[in-house]
Amino acid sequence: MPKLLIVDDEMDVREFAKNFFQRRKIEVAVSSSGEEALEMLVKEKPDLVLLDVRLGGMDGIEVLSKMREMQDNTQVIMVTGVNEKETSDKAKELGVVDYIHKPLKLDELEEVVLKRLLKTNNKKAG
Amino acid sequence: MNIFSLAGLILFFTSLVLVIVIFRFGKTYLHRIWAFFNISVLIWGIGCYFIGRSSIPQEALTWWRISQIGVIFIAVFLYHVIYLICNIKSKRILFFVYLQGIIFLLFSFTRFFYPGVRFVFLSFYYALPGPAYHFFTIIWMSIVFYSHYLLFLEFKRSKSRKKNQILYFFFGSIVGFSGGITNFLVGYGIDVYPFGNFSIPLYCIIVSYAIIRYRLLDISLVVTRTSIFIVIYSLILGVPFIIANYLRPYFIGLFGDNWWLVPMGVLTILATVGPFIYIYIERKAENRLLRDQRRYQDTLRRASSGMIRIRNLRKLLNLIVHIITRTVRIQFAAIFLLDPDNAQYAMSARRDTDILPRQFIFKADSPLVRHLYYTKEAVVYEELQLKVQDNPRNKELIKVEQQLKEINADVAVPSFVGNKLLGFLVLGKKLSGKLYSQDDLNVFSVLANQAALAVENAQFYEDIKETQEQLFQAEKMATVGTMADGLSHQINNRFQALSLISGDSLDVLKTTDVSNCSEEVKETFKQLKYAFERIQTNVSQGGEIVRGLLKYSRPGERGFENIDFNKVVYGALEMAQYKVRLHELDIKRQIPADLPEIKCNLTQLEEVFFNLIDNAYDATRERKEVLKEENYKGKIVISAAPREDNLRITFEDNGIGIKDKDKNKLFTPFFTTKASSRKGTGLGLYVIQKIIGFHEGTISIDSVYGKGTKFEITLPLAHKK
Repeated sequence: MPKLLIVDDEMDVREFAKNFFQRRKIEVAVSSSGEEALEMLVKEKPDLVLLDVRLGGMDGIEVLSKMREMQDNTQVIMVTGVNEKETSDKAKELGVVDYIHKPLKLDELEEVVLKRLLKTNNKKAG
Repeated sequence: MNIFSLAGLILFFTSLVLVIVIFRFGKTYLHRIWAFFNISVLIWGIGCYFIGRSSIPQEALTWWRISQIGVIFIAVFLYHVIYLICNIKSKRILFFVYLQGIIFLLFSFTRFFYPGVRFVFLSFYYALPGPAYHFFTIIWMSIVFYSHYLLFLEFKRSKSRKKNQILYFFFGSIVGFSGGITNFLVGYGIDVYPFGNFSIPLYCIIVSYAIIRYRLLDISLVVTRTSIFIVIYSLILGVPFIIANYLRPYFIGLFGDNWWLVPMGVLTILATVGPFIYIYIERKAENRLLRDQRRYQDTLRRASSGMIRIRNLRKLLNLIVHIITRTVRIQFAAIFLLDPDNAQYAMSARRDTDILPRQFIFKADSPLVRHLYYTKEAVVYEELQLKVQDNPRNKELIKVEQQLKEINADVAVPSFVGNKLLGFLVLGKKLSGKLYSQDDLNVFSVLANQAALAVENAQFYEDIKETQEQLFQAEKMATVGTMADGLSHQINNRFQALSLISGDSLDVLKTTDVSNCSEEVKETFKQLKYAFERIQTNVSQGGEIVRGLLKYSRPGERGFENIDFNKVVYGALEMAQYKVRLHELDIKRQIPADLPEIKCNLTQLEEVFFNLIDNAYDATRERKEVLKEENYKGKIVISAAPREDNLRITFEDNGIGIKDKDKNKLFTPFFTTKASSRKGTGLGLYVIQKIIGFHEGTISIDSVYGKGTKFEITLPLAHKK
């Protein structure tokens, strides 16, 4: 089963996005902060990370750069706010595979995240 | 030369100067007759000069006869002048006076008048009186006394100014005629040296002043000044003369041939010191005389300096009026202040009984206002009346007089700030019935101008308060703007969560298999699905609005880019749809698709057009409410076309338009005509102008009230030809 790590400081987001993906037979781990996320990466070894830019403490970009430092190449989809060109440029530099804009739409989640998860899993399997 | 000659010569020159002055400044019939009087005096004067210098009796006699002509007509013209001043109806006595003048003139060259001369005072020849001369003396005296009697009657029934004028006459007569009488004495054998000719010039000067000037000094001042003058100059001239005449032997004994140096020296010292003594004594005397008057003038002056600190306009005006009526004790006082919006002067403060009609208004082009503006000094009703009498053809003066009469005003004092007539002070009669003196008017003028400064200050302060309030409001708005960023992010998160939750719930509902459930359950699920779909739609819309707000409140990119103008319009409309009901308007765009790009800051230009759209919407709303036309629909037309190196944009609406009086305030910050319910900050057009300027473009506006408004904006193209 493909595994997804959702990093977001909003409880509702973690809970309901988790429900959504679990219903589609995806294993979901959640984290509410950047530091916790890095620990979870090592512990859970997810196939894909859904990473919110705005987090308390360490923000999404920082998490990304730490990941690259740790030589962790897990694929990351960035969740950004409106038109933050600077942030999206930076994220691109650090090698995110895609972006989703807030507010999260379920069909977008399906389209972008689910697809990629299944692809990755197939890669892994195959 | 003897003293008699000297006096005659002085008299001649004084009269000559007076005649010239009167012909130069005098305008009326009265003035001309008075000039003739002075010509008669002039003849007497020069005659005396030559009499004094005559070395043989025959010569002296001739000159006596010539100078007699002057004397005869002195009485004639004196009566004529007084006849005019007292407005005497019957011409009979006048006729008689002229008749006797001519008769005696014919007689004067016969021996019945002056049979001969005699040597008097060891220096000159004096005429001997003949029978006709006695007769002449009686008639001459009668005419003079009768004239003064008439003057006295007129005095009793005159108003203040004329009373003052007549007093001048009497004072002058006392000075002049009492001196002149001495001439007659010698003729009758009473050998008193005829110093009289020295006082006659004074008489002429005093009365000329009274006749020519409209505004006379207080008589007591004139009496004081003249008396002091006489005393001091008698001393200056007299003391050396006495020394020279009576102490001569004593000084010859002391100094020999150079004895004359002593009286000369005394004369020089006295002549140098004299003027200073005169000024000193005069000032002391005037201070005592005018003590009462000075007191209230001081009060007024002190009040006026305290005025400037009062900031409440209403309070200030009432205070000014209160001070004046209390201090000066007048019937009433009122202040008329300029109302610039309506180009008129409205009564802004008053203190009185019911003498003034309520709510009186002077238009800016009314005669009184114009008069005050051009003369820049106070106008006194009584003086104006005289001027009107003397210049009956001056229609303007007549109108001013009428206006003053309408409001029962005695004086109007203008109040200037620089070249602007800020208002004027209107005063009624003094309760004491006295005249307004020049001193009074000076103090009032100072008070009025101080008041103008204080009023401007108070008005400015009120404007400042209003502007400050607007500033606070604008600042509040700006604060909301800065909060918008953080706020909308928070709100966005809420919408986000809602979206996710409702989405997921919908998902759950959709994926649950209810085929084996009851109809009731199936129906419930259907309703729930619908409900959550509605929630999704609403949440989505909410998110859009917040996004729009975020976009608007963001400071935006600073730089310039090459942008298609269509994008600007689209962005502006997108923003506008949240503030105004765009669907109520007909919006036409006449913008070609292949428009050349302009170099601009997208966010700023979006703001420009957003403001224009907003204003246009308000204008159409107002037109609908005010003009209530059937089938009216608001319309906006935006067109753009390239022209040389610029893009020429017109933005036209068919709203209520702009009133002429508001046109020059349009781009002023904080100026708004919007009804209070939809009131903007008043910064819209100001900011637009600034942004267009920043883009090195131009903006102009054309508007007709009731029809609409058109803006023409030019912006430089990105690629110049």
